[in-house]
Amino acid sequence: MIRRGFIILALVLFGLVFARLIGAYQEQSVLRPLAEHYVTQGPRELGAANVITGILITYRGFDTLGEVAVLFMVAAGLGLLLRRDGDGPSVSANTPLRPASELVVTGTEVLLPLIFVFGAYVIMHGHLSAGGGFQGGAIVASAVLLLLVTQPLTRLRLDLLSITESFAGVLFVCIGLLGLILAGGFLDSRFLPQGQLGAFFSAGAIPIISILLGIKVGAELSVIIDRFRR
Amino acid sequence: MVASLLHPLTIFILGLGGGFVLPLVYRLGKTWLKATFFLALSGMALVSALGLVRLLLGGDAIDILTAGSLPPVSISLRFGLWEGFFTASVNCVALLGALRLWPRLSGRYAAMLLYLIFVMGINGMVMTRDLFNLFVFLEIVSIGTYGLLSLEETPAALAAAFKYIMATVLASTFFLLATGLLYYATGTLNIDGLLAQREAIGGPIGAMALLLLLGALLVELKPFPANGWGLDVYETATDGVAALVSVGVSAGVFFALFKLEPLFAGQRNLIAWSCGLTFVAANLIGLRQRLVQRLLGYSSIGQMALMVLALVLLRRQEADGVESGGADVAFALVIGGLFLNHLLAKAGLFWLAGAIGAREWTSWPSLAGRPLLLLAFAILLVAIAGLPPFPGFWGKWELVNALAGSGDYGWIVLILFGSLCEAVYLFRWFGACLQAPRPAAVPAFFSGELPVLVAALLLVIAGLAAAGLAGISSFWLFLPLAAGAALAVIDPILPGQVKCALMLALVLAGGLFLSQGLDGMRGLFAALLLSGGLVIASAGFYRTDARPFHHALLAVLLLALPALLRAETGLDFFVTFEIITLASYFLIARSPAAAPHLLPFLLFSLAAAFFLLTGFAAHRAASGTDALTALGSAGADGALTFVLLASGFLIKAGALGVHVWLPGAYAEAEDDVSALLSAVISKVPIIGLLTGAYLAIRSQNAFGLAHGMGWIGLLTVIGGAAMALREDDVKRMLAYSSMSQLGYIVIAIALMSHIGWVTALYLVANHLMVKGILFLAVAGVTLRAGSRQFADLGGLMRSMPFTFVAVLIAVIAMSGLPPLMGFGGKWLLVQGMADQEWYALAVLSLVATGLGFLYMIRLVHGLFLKPQPPNRAELSSAGSLREAPIALLLPQYALAAAILLLSFYPSLVMEPIAAAIDPAFSAGLVWRGMSLQEIYGYWNPRPLMIVIVAAVMSAIALLAMLYWFRRKDARFLRSTGGKESDALSRFFAFYEPMLGVLVRPMASRFWNNVARGVEALGCLRRVYDGDGQTYALYVLYYFLALYFLGSAIPI
Amino acid sequence: MGFPPVSHLVLATGCSLVLIGFYGMLTHRNILRIIIGFSLIDTGIHMILVATGYITGGTAPIIDEALSLDAAATRSVDPIPSALVVTAIVIGLSVTAIMLAYAIRLYETKQTLSLDAFTESKW
Repeated sequence: MIRRGFIILALVLFGLVFARLIGAYQEQSVLRPLAEHYVTQGPRELGAANVITGILITYRGFDTLGEVAVLFMVAAGLGLLLRRDGDGPSVSANTPLRPASELVVTGTEVLLPLIFVFGAYVIMHGHLSAGGGFQGGAIVASAVLLLLVTQPLTRLRLDLLSITESFAGVLFVCIGLLGLILAGGFLDSRFLPQGQLGAFFSAGAIPIISILLGIKVGAELSVIIDRFRR
Repeated sequence: MVASLLHPLTIFILGLGGGFVLPLVYRLGKTWLKATFFLALSGMALVSALGLVRLLLGGDAIDILTAGSLPPVSISLRFGLWEGFFTASVNCVALLGALRLWPRLSGRYAAMLLYLIFVMGINGMVMTRDLFNLFVFLEIVSIGTYGLLSLEETPAALAAAFKYIMATVLASTFFLLATGLLYYATGTLNIDGLLAQREAIGGPIGAMALLLLLGALLVELKPFPANGWGLDVYETATDGVAALVSVGVSAGVFFALFKLEPLFAGQRNLIAWSCGLTFVAANLIGLRQRLVQRLLGYSSIGQMALMVLALVLLRRQEADGVESGGADVAFALVIGGLFLNHLLAKAGLFWLAGAIGAREWTSWPSLAGRPLLLLAFAILLVAIAGLPPFPGFWGKWELVNALAGSGDYGWIVLILFGSLCEAVYLFRWFGACLQAPRPAAVPAFFSGELPVLVAALLLVIAGLAAAGLAGISSFWLFLPLAAGAALAVIDPILPGQVKCALMLALVLAGGLFLSQGLDGMRGLFAALLLSGGLVIASAGFYRTDARPFHHALLAVLLLALPALLRAETGLDFFVTFEIITLASYFLIARSPAAAPHLLPFLLFSLAAAFFLLTGFAAHRAASGTDALTALGSAGADGALTFVLLASGFLIKAGALGVHVWLPGAYAEAEDDVSALLSAVISKVPIIGLLTGAYLAIRSQNAFGLAHGMGWIGLLTVIGGAAMALREDDVKRMLAYSSMSQLGYIVIAIALMSHIGWVTALYLVANHLMVKGILFLAVAGVTLRAGSRQFADLGGLMRSMPFTFVAVLIAVIAMSGLPPLMGFGGKWLLVQGMADQEWYALAVLSLVATGLGFLYMIRLVHGLFLKPQPPNRAELSSAGSLREAPIALLLPQYALAAAILLLSFYPSLVMEPIAAAIDPAFSAGLVWRGMSLQEIYGYWNPRPLMIVIVAAVMSAIALLAMLYWFRRKDARFLRSTGGKESDALSRFFAFYEPMLGVLVRPMASRFWNNVARGVEALGCLRRVYDGDGQTYALYVLYYFLALYFLGSAIPI
Repeated sequence: MGFPPVSHLVLATGCSLVLIGFYGMLTHRNILRIIIGFSLIDTGIHMILVATGYITGGTAPIIDEALSLDAAATRSVDPIPSALVVTAIVIGLSVTAIMLAYAIRLYETKQTLSLDAFTESKW
């Protein structure tokens, strides 16, 4: 009970902290110089209509590279943590599985291609509209999740996925280096023509990086989901 | 092309690219995997090391821009001197750690890529100049840690990892929030931008963001009490990963704090309190810990707290504008030295702990069969304890000096107290290892031994480099260590006596070289100690066994004596003083019987050293220079310095109350080592006292200080004599006698007059010779009779006549009987006291002389005159009871010859002594306006001699009478059981109970209680209840405390 | 003053979410629930970040028919917090995945998910 008291006290105190935060917060009415630079100069410099994608992939591309590394490490870390001794999901060995319901199976058949296509769309249009490699990759992985829910015994080609994610990662680094050699610096996406702002083929190497990211994230999240099947 | 390959960006390309490639290479085969992994890792180490070299040679810091834009638009990184230093150090240790971890990594590409990207993440944390990018790298490091923690699969390890995750996720969550809020408050994420406008970061949100950011960084460094999660991981993780967390993750987080520290200028006091608390608490709790890895965890936490504490205290000084010469170098030495020391030593110890494999230090196996590993173990421990010549020592030296400069003595006390606790638990572990009966299993070379050895080697190199930076006078300071190292190298291949001869030759040559140009008192001491040391050390020929490392240590010890005398600065002096302490420690440690006395010896030696450290720092703060000569010209405010220095030296001299370390250490060392320690090494604190005595003379309350010291000396004389009289073990009796005799020397120094100092030097020479003879004689007796107990000995006059004569000469010389030297010494002393009108002291010291007589009589009687105990008869009949070996007798007679010579030609020693004592000092204090030559001419000993002899004789007669009347007392007969066979033994037995009252082991009891009390404080560890949720709650409360204290106290 | 600005609402919601997450993480002994607590905290923090990037009357910083390049300076929200949050979400997901994997391993060792079973190392 004393413990609960301390917990409540901590929450009350944090409540005070947050109340002070909310009390002091004032909505901004104009952009600060850096943000303004991104919003006004970003599209001009990079040719990407979606400012956030431009920031993510080019200006803060180093963050994104790190973020990719984090996901990659998680996939590897889960491989270490959830090592399986045998091949395939071990669940099936002792508990017989109830087949998925008609509704789910049919729904999957209909939805799966749609989700994949939507994922691909989001990945490829990251420089133009809301979305990008991460978002699209997550959508693709959700399709894989759906697949595994309906057919738990599906074997993913883990080796293929792992090679794919590695290759995508290596290519990402290589494109970063291309930026160093051909353009202004590491991860500079401006070594390909900028094109027309808002066109599909535009924004230099951003769409290519986006696609690599999408493939990588999709593959990694699929691997992660698969690791939890045991 | 080559230049661009060596660009720091390559570190990231190698880390990330290597990580991405590993799964592909895995399919090509194990060899490829291994090659790629190590190639990438060593590439990172190489690039950072070469980058550091380039910067050290004067190159410019490299700013790494990304995305072809300038910051703050894009992320930038920096590779400057500090970044280069941190990354190169961490990468090298990571490479070694990979070797250590290899059995676990091998074949698992997932673990390898985690390791690789993890190391890159630390580099990123160090180099990045963008706050959010720092967050990303922090997460890379965290996730790498979480993954690598799963390499250990015991339930406890997995549970500990989960607690670790809970706490660090909370910390990084707050980091993220703080980053977002800082962006809201400032409009930038660039660290340089933030630092530039740090004054303007205000308002509730900006302040909150700063406090949360600070909290996140501090929590990652595991502050007390919100650090149980870290300890659990240190305890349970596999040693390689624990080492990574301890040195790698901490290095990254520390550097982040280092970079951002100016933002927290308003919170420096708060940070200092938190870190000070953590440092002390961690080391206190460590005292009760038996699990090696958890112990190292406590030490790690303490060290990181110390580094942060040092950082904020130094930066605060900088901000306050405290001017001190070479502040940049000092700052670099403190931060760099402490960091590198922790990095190498802690990682090495974790690896060693893992390679040996015993979980508790109490059950550690012996490393006696693996001398190299034992040496590395010793180096790592000595380094962590902050002793020379390792980088941590130079760091601590500069830190204490800087703190004394700004008058922060409270922080000095705290830091030194924590360090003392840390040294205790670490060296207790070492002691357990020395005592262990079971030999250690042989660890694998590449994954077990090599990383530890390399870490130790790097520590030595780093220590020497730091020494150069710290401004020691010259590298001859390290001559003793070099000589020791040379002997250690050839140690395993040569027989003991050859090594002994080599050692003597080396010491002679080195000693002559070192004492070149020493004149005055220093020259006298050098000649005296060196020749005395060589003569006594030559007794080592009587041992025919190999005595591993004995001679190397002896060379270090003996050569350190002239080096000490040659010291020009406080730093030189202190370094050599510590080297002497360490060499003595390891020499004593070679004797198994000394095991229980090792820790007190080290503890009191370190305490003494810490007093000296503070004393020298106070001296430098007061006089602005570290030169020892400045001690002689100190102003009236030198009292503090004097008290600190005198306390340190008095502890080392075994003054009453702080003598508890002395008898065990002196008596239980090997026999010839005892002789050396008691006769020669015990003079080291005397040298120190003489060096520092000018301070007292110049200080305002000189008389009070000197008088106080005189009383301490007197109490030591009486206490030592009483305990010697009561002791049944011959060597322990001699040890107490040493303590008592040193007391006389302390009194003589305390006289602070010319005659007093002449007396002191005279007594030093006398004691050196006498104790050398007595300990060597006892060595012979022990060798032949097989016992050190008075009860087992007796009647040796017939079988060991040469030893008997030597002992007789020594005893007469010591007890102050005419005509031998001791008498002159006593006479001068009494005269000096009379001059100062210290009559009480004079009378009491005469009484003490009586006590001295008694134990000397007991020595001669007990060994040689009284009949042989019946149970020992078979020894003489077996013929083993014969004269001591010639190797032991020769040095005794050399010393005896010196006694006789100096007794009959006192001017031989008096003249140089009188000349040696600084004429400038003596000018105002010459005794009765006469030079010493005249004093000796004037000296008419007869009246005083008669008085002394009469006084002593009547005292003894009184005691004898009392005994005569009461000897039939039934109580007495019952208490002794009438066992004592002869009259004199019965006489001593009669007075024993009375002495018992006098020498109740009050001091030991007091220190035992102190130790128990300190250890009881370790109950603080109850806060660590093992529950992850509790730990999370502590973390949240830590944030709250920081927030409310930080916003309430605008400092 | 009438209805509070929208970003205040988001901010307050984010803070409440964090508090709820704290509560859940500190009071539930079941590891899965603790992990859910952490997810809530994470989401709450993301909401706070997004809220602080809001500009009165702003829209998403994507140049299209709705937002011309010239109007972007005045009519778009601050893109940086949004960009940061994308990264933060991925990292939060990664941490959650790792925690869940640990939950599985811990369950395998003791056949329970209660934190009470995992207090081996202490002091």
